[in-house]
Parts: sequence; structure tokens; C-alpha cells
Amino acid sequence: MNKSMSNLSSAKSFSATDSTNKSPTASTSGQALVKVSNLHKSYSPTIQVLKGLDLTMAAGERLVVIGPSGGGKSTLLRVMMGLEQIDSGSITFAGQPYITANDGKAKTKINLAVRQQIGMVFQHYTLFPHLTILQNLTLAPRKVRGESKASAEARGMALLTRFGLAAKAGAYPNQLSGGQKQRVAIARALMLDPKLMLFDEVTSALDPELVAEVEQVIMSLAEQGMPMMIVTHDMWFAKNIASRVVFCAGGVVVEEGPPDQIFNAPKHERTREFLDRVFHI
Amino acid sequence: MSYSFDFTGLEQGYDSLLEGLKVTVELTLAANLIGVTLGFVVALLVMSRISLIRTPVMLFIEFFRCTPAIIQIVWFFYCVPIMFDVYLDSVTMGVLALGLNLTAFNAEAYRAAIQSVPKEQHDAGIALGLSPFQRVIYIVLPHALRSALPVLITNGIGIFQQTALVAIVAIQDLMYQGKSLATTTYRPIETFTLIAVIYFAVSFPVAQLVQLIERRREVASR
Ligand SMILES: Nc1ncnc2c1ncn2[C@@H]1O[C@H](COP(=O)(O)OP(=O)(O)OP(=O)(O)O)[C@@H](O)[C@H]1O
Ligand SMILES: [Mg+2]
Repeated sequence: MNKSMSNLSSAKSFSATDSTNKSPTASTSGQALVKVSNLHKSYSPTIQVLKGLDLTMAAGERLVVIGPSGGGKSTLLRVMMGLEQIDSGSITFAGQPYITANDGKAKTKINLAVRQQIGMVFQHYTLFPHLTILQNLTLAPRKVRGESKASAEARGMALLTRFGLAAKAGAYPNQLSGGQKQRVAIARALMLDPKLMLFDEVTSALDPELVAEVEQVIMSLAEQGMPMMIVTHDMWFAKNIASRVVFCAGGVVVEEGPPDQIFNAPKHERTREFLDRVFHI
Repeated sequence: MSYSFDFTGLEQGYDSLLEGLKVTVELTLAANLIGVTLGFVVALLVMSRISLIRTPVMLFIEFFRCTPAIIQIVWFFYCVPIMFDVYLDSVTMGVLALGLNLTAFNAEAYRAAIQSVPKEQHDAGIALGLSPFQRVIYIVLPHALRSALPVLITNGIGIFQQTALVAIVAIQDLMYQGKSLATTTYRPIETFTLIAVIYFAVSFPVAQLVQLIERRREVASR
């Protein structure tokens, strides 16, 4: 479907307007873009999900998170998006404090200015059903950033055109296929010029023949240097897009490394077991 | 049945009935304006996590749902001016009584609709940086309006009929005009039959609209 991703340029910046090469993380290049430290998260006293997870991601990296069901992959991404409270630990983004636990007392502290730099696409369709495709794209830029309607629509149309969805601008989400919906969801997130994209199994609700079109869009973002964290069960996709693979199980990172190493020569028994099961069904 | 209907003589009242219908429709629209907007706000308040907000609002809803509308109207006309020292014209009072009654019923419809907003929609709103208030306005409200619409319309028709109660406090609505026509013509049976037909003729098409919406939804969700 796509050319080998091994020669992806690693640190070119991405912008939704596709104009100049502004460098959002220039000041921190070489430094970690994301640093997750000793992250603990439970949904209730009996449901401990993340148990001291550590993870570092450099700017320009494409991290693919794999692991068994219930291992906490979605929870990790949701925490990173600022959707969940945490018990302890912290996350920094480009050197700034982003998410900080508050000793179980008050609420988790979330730096909203940082959150605005992160975009997320979910497994379930999350387009707003009462808005057209173009309105879905322009809502947040207009209301959150105060961008003018004309400017937001121009940028929205440019993105839709790039994704081959210009003809759908005036349609409503229920008139789209699953693959089209997910591509619109990606475009919607890109409208806010994110510095990091999170993808949580964005193709697993799709019919098999629609998976490729969505993965291709993510690939094209990768080619432009968009830093991303991807949770997927599609190992072929993982191999192709990852600059690094993280195997996450039992609420911690068990093993991480370049895709070659993780897929061909995993060090941990647990990783091997998981990959055996995934590849031999 | 030995009674033979005789509608002659009622023509003299057509103009006043039309005037009355106008008042009734105006009362209905005004009450619905209050009920549809305030109902949403009340639904949000009654879902508040803060019990100091939730409890009084809950009492408000239950008061209007658990007492007869006619008592609410009378109470508004005679008790509110004395207790709160506010004297408003009777139409305003009627609109307020009916509007608040409708608010209570609509709030319940909205509450169910708000609870049915999928969690994913909230998540997407947060991920896009929308503030809690913006999420309510741009995500929750459209969803709630849409999914509560059949109940809102049904409640709205209900209020159209309840407006007949304000005739007892001398608002010159359709019912009031009907009563005076019945007295002047000595034809109460014919007059009230005619009035019933008028109420029906207005309500029925709107009620059909609800069925149409529900049928279309059934088809869409198949
Ligand atoms: N909102 C919630 N309330 C309670 N428990 C939850 C909630 N969300 C997730 N969990 C539990 O937390 C655990 C980890 O869930 P999570 O969704 O993070 O796993 P995952 O690695 O993404 O799994 P999958 O591959 O199936 O998507 C699971 O046991 C799940 O049941
Ligand atoms: Mg998951």
C-alpha cells in the first residue's frame, strides 16, 4: 500500500496549513517531547490500570504502543489527552509540566495550554452528528481560538481537499463511510495544529476494506514529521509506521525498542508470548 | 339521543372566538418559549453535583409535576402577589404559571436526553479544547434538543390544552370567549362542541408531527 516508511524524515514539522516550516519544538529539539514518569492510574480501588508507567518520547518520534487487551494502552492515551484523573506521577510536554497528580486530594492538575497542543482520534466515531463535515472541522478553531469563519473554512477545505473529502464538506457524518468518518476526525484534530497526535485503535471499528485509506492518511502525516503515539492491533501497520515500539502490559512498559528488534528479537518472555499469539492465529 | 344540535346563532361569536384562539396560541407560544429554554437550564441544574443547587431545583420540578395545574394557576394569581408583593398583569401571570409548569415537565425530558449523550462526544469536545460551557452549548444542547424533541412537542401540545385553565382568572382566551358565547346564545352544548373541535383542529396536526418524527427515527435507526 505504501512505500517503505524507513526513510521517513524524522523531524520535519507539520502544520495544517502546510505552509512554512515553522519549528514548534525547535527550542527543545533533542530534548524529550513527552516524558511520562511513574504514572499510576486506577478507575476504582480495585481497578488499578497503570502501575508506575515510565515512557519518554523524543520530538519527531512515532511511538506505537502494542500489548494485550486490558493492559492500559487506551488509558495511557486518555491520560495523555487530559481526559482522566491520575493517582500519582506526572507528564511533561516539551519540558513544561503538563499533568501532575495532586496526592489523591484535589483533582489532577492539567496544563490546558499544553493540552491544546495535543490532538486525539478515537476508536469510536466521535464526529458531532448535528454538524456538517466542514462545521465539525471549524467548530473548535472558531470557538476555542476565535479564528474567523472565513479563515477556518478556508483551512478546513484545504485539509478536506488534501484528504480527498472536499465533496463531503456539506454532508453530515451519518452520510459517510466509517473510513471517511475517521479521516474527517483526523482532519478535525489537525485543524488545531497539534504538536502531537494520539491515535487509539482508529481502524479497529472499520470494515477491513476501509482500513487502508485511514492508515494511509496517518502515514502521510508521519511522512511530514508529525510526532504521534499510536495504539494499534494491526502489526503490519505498527511495523511500517513505528520509529519505536512500546510493549505495554499489566500497566507498565515491559519492553521498548526499534520495530525490528521488538518484532524480530524481543527480549522479554511476555513480549514474545504476545507476539506469538498475535502472529499465529 | 333526543338532543338535536342547533348551531344557528353561534356565527355572532366567531370573531370573539378567533380573538380567543389568538390569545390561546400566544399563551401557548410564550409558555413554550419559557419551557423549552428554561427547561434545559433546569435539567442541567438538577443534574448538578452540588446538592445546594440540586435540591431546590428538584423541589421546583416536583412541585409543578405533583400538583394540579389549575391550583398552580390560582396560586400564582392569588398567592404570589400577596407573598412576594409583585403585581403583574394577568396574562403575564398566566404565561409564567404555564411556562414554569412546562419547564418542570420539559426538564425531565431534557434530563433523559442529556444523559443519553454518548461519553465519546464529551471526550471529543475536551480533546478539541472546548470549555465545559462550550461543550454544553455546542454538543449537549443540540443532541438533547434533537432527542427530546418528540416529548417537548407533546408537552407543548399539553400546555396548549392547559391554557384553557387560565379562563378562570379572566384571561380572554378561547375557553373564556367560549364561555361567554355559551351564556349569550344559551347554546352551551353547541358552543363547547365547537370549541372542542377548534382545540382538536390545532392539536391534532401537531400531534401527528410527533408521530412523523418518531417514525422517521425508527426508520433511520434500522
Ligand atoms: N472507565 C472505566 N471504568 C472502569 N474500568 C475501566 C474504565 N476504562 C477502562 N477500564 C479498565 O481498565 C483496564 C485497562 O483498560 P484499557 O482500555 O486501558 O486497556 P487497553 O490496553 O486499551 O485494552 P484494549 O486492547 O482492549 O483496548 C481494563 O481492565 C478495563 O476494563
Ligand atoms: Mg484500548
